[in-house]
Amino acid sequence: MNSPPRWAQKLLEVFSDPDTMEEVQGDLLELYDHWVQTIGKRRADWRYSRSTLKLLRPLAQTNTTQYPSPFFLNPAMIRNYFRTAWRNLVKNKFYSFINISGLTVGLAVGILILLWVQDELSFDRFHTQSSSIYRLENWAGTGSSRQIWTATVAPIAGFAKRETPEVKDAVRLTENYAYTLFKYREKTISEHKTFFTDPTLFSVFDFNLIQGNPAKPFPNNNSIVVTETTAKRYFGDENPIGKVLAANDNTAFTVSGVIRDFPKNSSIQGDMFLPMSLFFKNIYADNRDGKNMDNDFSQFRYYTYLLLQPNTSVASLATKLRTIHLRNKPDDTDLTYLLQALPDMHLYKADGTEGGIETVRMFSIIALLILAIACINYVNLSTARSLLRSKEVSMRKIVGAARSQLFIQFLVETTLLFALAAALAIGLLFGLLPFYNQLSGKELVLNVSDYRIWQIIGLTIIGTLAASSIYPAVLLSSFEPLKALKGKVSARLSEASFRKLLVVVQFAVSVILIAGTFIINNQLQYIRSKELGYDKTHVFAFFMRDMSKHYDAVKADLLNQPGVAAITRADADIVALGGQTGDNAWDGKAQGETMMMYSVAIDKDFIPFFNMKLQQGANFTGAVADSLHFILNESAVKAARLDNPIGKRFRLWKHNGTIIGVVKDFHFASMKQKIEPSIFYYEPQNSGVIYIKTTGKEAEQAIASAKQSWKQYNADFPFVYSFLDDVFNNLYKSEQQTGLLFTIFSSIAILISCLGLFGLAAYTAQVRTREIGVRKVLGASVTSVIQLLAKDFIQLVLIAIVIAVPLAWWAMSLWLEGFAYRIDIAWWMFAIAGLLALAIALLTVSFQSIKAALMNPVKSLRSE
Amino acid sequence: MKRAFLGEFEEVVLLTVAILDEGAYGVTITQEIEQKTGRSVGFSTVHTTLQRLAEKGFLSSRMGGATAERGGRRKRFFTVTATGRKALLDVKQVREELWGSLPPQTLQLMGS
Repeated sequence: MNSPPRWAQKLLEVFSDPDTMEEVQGDLLELYDHWVQTIGKRRADWRYSRSTLKLLRPLAQTNTTQYPSPFFLNPAMIRNYFRTAWRNLVKNKFYSFINISGLTVGLAVGILILLWVQDELSFDRFHTQSSSIYRLENWAGTGSSRQIWTATVAPIAGFAKRETPEVKDAVRLTENYAYTLFKYREKTISEHKTFFTDPTLFSVFDFNLIQGNPAKPFPNNNSIVVTETTAKRYFGDENPIGKVLAANDNTAFTVSGVIRDFPKNSSIQGDMFLPMSLFFKNIYADNRDGKNMDNDFSQFRYYTYLLLQPNTSVASLATKLRTIHLRNKPDDTDLTYLLQALPDMHLYKADGTEGGIETVRMFSIIALLILAIACINYVNLSTARSLLRSKEVSMRKIVGAARSQLFIQFLVETTLLFALAAALAIGLLFGLLPFYNQLSGKELVLNVSDYRIWQIIGLTIIGTLAASSIYPAVLLSSFEPLKALKGKVSARLSEASFRKLLVVVQFAVSVILIAGTFIINNQLQYIRSKELGYDKTHVFAFFMRDMSKHYDAVKADLLNQPGVAAITRADADIVALGGQTGDNAWDGKAQGETMMMYSVAIDKDFIPFFNMKLQQGANFTGAVADSLHFILNESAVKAARLDNPIGKRFRLWKHNGTIIGVVKDFHFASMKQKIEPSIFYYEPQNSGVIYIKTTGKEAEQAIASAKQSWKQYNADFPFVYSFLDDVFNNLYKSEQQTGLLFTIFSSIAILISCLGLFGLAAYTAQVRTREIGVRKVLGASVTSVIQLLAKDFIQLVLIAIVIAVPLAWWAMSLWLEGFAYRIDIAWWMFAIAGLLALAIALLTVSFQSIKAALMNPVKSLRSE
Repeated sequence: MKRAFLGEFEEVVLLTVAILDEGAYGVTITQEIEQKTGRSVGFSTVHTTLQRLAEKGFLSSRMGGATAERGGRRKRFFTVTATGRKALLDVKQVREELWGSLPPQTLQLMGS
């Protein structure tokens, strides 16, 4: 018998409309027969093929299903997805609650941290030229005292502008200590954040004048530029331009410009700006030593910012600047310049190593971990409960659902849950923000109209949604109806072990966070309680101003007041010493060696007042000869390689003197820093800071007496004092905050993990209700049932601990390296963290287990 | 009521189905049209027209009557539905009205 061409038949089979395939094939065969008889085989073949080709529907769906289901994005189907999803949420209130609350907290906290991270990363990037602005810094000193100064000399900026073509412009800033009290009519305010600056500040940076002449921000030396808020403080709603502020009662400044308030994410902050030329006029007025603003290469106190040409080699510019510096001051051989990019200033240290970026990175990781834990919860709970839903899925498939439709159905279910959680999370976010700002000391503002905030929020939600919806949807839609209806799905080992893996990950993260919290808090405790080498309790201090001329009288008077135990003075803040000098010499100093040392002028009471221990030699006696006597600390002796320091010659600045004592090392800076060389010299008349030790109980009275004495000599100035303990605590404020936030975030992460574990345990107990019933009927005790249920989870937590400990060890050693003085990591810290995690897990699981174990078997067995 | 639109070829196919009565399926319809109109029609054209008419509700179908020469495949038999019959009548009525309103002299000129 004749048959039509095979290829045409095959084509028809594959590509024709499945609905009518059968009869079309039949009809064509019949016709083919007819054609062969009437018009011959060749033409029959031709006709057959032509008809086939005309019937092809190449773009139609493949003909695997004989009864096609509606398109999976059909509006009717979408409505159906939502309906089913909603029913499911409402039906399983318990699990919906666990899922939503976990996700809400996770999303809120995760987004909050990420917003903070975004804020930190945005520092100093808002200037249009921020990528070409650099801060000029310099290295100084040799050997162990080598360090970076972020404030450098004044003339280098001018030389750079004139002699190096790479430098387009330069801005210098220096703190203003000369004018602190400003007066307008009857308003007198003491200002703390004021600077002398070059007019380029308002053109190089985006701190443009909103009022005043941008071409000439400072028309003369008595001009002042203020921020909007500052202007408001003095002048209210009046136009500030042209108003006159009286500074320290004798100098009059005319407001010549107003700038917008500094954005919170600017490293440069200030309230008032005075012309730099005024500063130079003041300090070089007497033309002492022939120094002027163009040749004084010894005053390192100017924050200098350079605007560079694009594609400038920073390293070669630094070398050029060093050459210029050495040409003008040949003995500064230890000095090298370096430049730090403006956007790096906030998060990196001056030498370019990691500073705040470490915290930013740490918190980003925590945010991602929290989000991951929340996702894992969802994935675990929904896949675990898939057994219960396998029958539903099977029925749907049998009735004709395609896999794509089921996939979308589960996706919609997750999305709905996420939408609820996200809405709650955003609400929670705005509610939490004030607390967060208080805790972190940051001023994070959520501006609803700022698109960048929504970027972060949107990305976070979509990211977590994608991470937690796809796997369950794939898994749930994959059930094979026949197997599922026979109840064989539970035998699928792989996905159960995937779930176990996720639980292990969750708890490993928890153990790491617990151990981290523990070690961070221990370290903070350690640096706060470490022996400082001096006694600062109950001591308060303030800068004396005009009181210092009458120090002896003041001292005699105050010592008679109640509450005052002792008094001394120095020229520096002992908790955080400031000025360093390399202008020194001793016998045995090597060629080209520079030892940077902290210098402190003190009087004879200082060392006994602070209970410092003299290791060798004696204290100052107050004799005239003391002006050529020095007391060094141990580090200085070591750095100078002096064997028998007492009586050795030592030069500090122009004073050629002798070493009369060595004081034991004491901590005069944050514990992040090593103790560096320091030197005490006797110069009471220059010691402007008074230290008053109170008896503790009567501190209030002592302060009152000091204030009274202050008013006597500084009537116009506000009395500002601080207790050394507070100053000391401030040194560690950011560490304390980091520690506290870390503790809180870890707790939240652990809480979310537990929520998930709780859900899983509840589910396990639910699935095994009848098994437990049977066991109890056969005589199992309550404890053995609890063991049975808890055993699986405890195993997982143990594995997690084993994985977590080395990771935590490594991460925390890294963190501790940031401290010069630190605790040793001991095994028991991890043991405690592990036990704590185990206890938390056990507690979470046992609630459900006990409930299941105590259930009356009659009840559980009857429910068939 | 709006009249159902029926294309010329659709009308032919529909009429043929009505003529063939019980035995109307792809092959017979194609052959019948070829015979009656004398023009050669492709099977695919007939098939798609049948599908379209079924979609419009003018035809209903049932499966049956497998034979060996079809490779054991069933035929799809078509019958005209009530709507289909109405559509045919409508078309016929329109034609008759048009013929009826033709002026007699024109009719004569056409030679009938």
